[in-house]
Amino acid sequence: MSTTPMKIALFQCRWCLYSPEDQAWVDNDLPKNIHLVKVPCTGRIDPLFILNAVQGGADGVMVSGCLPEKCHFKEGNLAARRQLAEFSQFLDYIGYAQDRVRFVWLDLQDRGRIQQELAAFERTLETLGQAQALATRAPIAMGGAHD
Amino acid sequence: MTELETKIRAEAERLLSESLVDVVIAFRQEDAPLHPQPAFFTRAEELESLAYNGLCANNLANYLTRYPQETRIGMVVRGCENRSVNALLVEKQHTRENLVLIGVPCEGILDWRRIVALTGENVFSVEEKGESVCVHTRENTFALSRVELLHPSCQRCLHPNPISADVLLGDPKPEGDPHLMRLRIAELEALTPAERNAWFKHEAERCIRCYACREACPMCYCTECFVDHTEPRWTDSGVTPAGMQAWHIIRAFHQSGRCTSCGACERACPMDIQMTYLTDKLNLDMIDAYQFEVGMDTTTQPPFATLTLDDKNRFITQGKRS
Repeated sequence: MSTTPMKIALFQCRWCLYSPEDQAWVDNDLPKNIHLVKVPCTGRIDPLFILNAVQGGADGVMVSGCLPEKCHFKEGNLAARRQLAEFSQFLDYIGYAQDRVRFVWLDLQDRGRIQQELAAFERTLETLGQAQALATRAPIAMGGAHD
Repeated sequence: MTELETKIRAEAERLLSESLVDVVIAFRQEDAPLHPQPAFFTRAEELESLAYNGLCANNLANYLTRYPQETRIGMVVRGCENRSVNALLVEKQHTRENLVLIGVPCEGILDWRRIVALTGENVFSVEEKGESVCVHTRENTFALSRVELLHPSCQRCLHPNPISADVLLGDPKPEGDPHLMRLRIAELEALTPAERNAWFKHEAERCIRCYACREACPMCYCTECFVDHTEPRWTDSGVTPAGMQAWHIIRAFHQSGRCTSCGACERACPMDIQMTYLTDKLNLDMIDAYQFEVGMDTTTQPPFATLTLDDKNRFITQGKRS
């Protein structure tokens, strides 16, 4: 266990239905090393948003969206899947490991899974160490929700 | 005047004198022998200055989006320009009926920087004789090999022939070797992440944010670019590491599935920054994942403009790829 916790930027789709307990945990009890950004849909996530998190010193970026065919806007998550999967490969190409960008597609039934995913992601990041490759901006604020 | 120039001029003259087009977009020889300039001919009498040679470095498709859809445009197109025009037609930036494409099989664009490096600044004139290029300077005459002077993106060119031109002037050239582009990307991918990162930073850090690459690119036609946006300011717009890197990453990413690898961005760059290694990588990914090659027809939408439920193989669930 490293002394400085890994900084994670979590992009959550507003419509991606967590179970009420999970949502309460995300809204109120999120650990301080996780920066929550709520978006109207994963399709709204411009690659630039992810890049800004990466440049702001995030060690990992997690995108949580709805399952295919369950998107509130019908196809936003499918568009996001194509773009963001390619963008993570592209970041890998210029030296920001692909494993640092992770996508999870959650449903109401996946009770408690967001916590498990974040914990697993943090373990992955700890083996990779801190990301210095593209950190060039002032560090992003940590903790709490940001719209 | 070369035989090819005569043919282009005759065709342009026919289009203008018969009022088949409103404007012919081609090149004109001005005072600087190494820099023929894009020119817009609206009357047949002006065509005397029309020129075409290996030093015509711009991608003329760039000027397509500067005219209204109703303007009938005649355009001299090489392989890459033809594909750029097709890509613009896919994005409904003009109507095919209002275009007359004068196709010229391309022998590759000569890199004027290489010529100057080999011969010095005082170039008087450049003559192309098949595989050799004769450069006259004030003091000397140099016979140089054409292959060595080619711009890097032309050395890797896949389709030198226009694929959907209305008239084709000159003999078709053999198709390029797809292996060459892959080889370059594979070389970079074989490096460690830290080395790739160092390479990227080394290229991006010379950027002066002049946006010549954007202005030279036919696919960069947004009226407001993301870096010019002030409210909200999406990204750092200064000459800082963050701003320069974000510009290079996002500019390239906006080209994925749209870039025709013409290399106009690199030729326009005053700082000699390489950037086709970014767009070529994205192009290869588009070919490998979606079998999509840019500009090969005028109807197929680029991968990021379409979506299917069947991307299952690329779908990430339960925290890993299924």
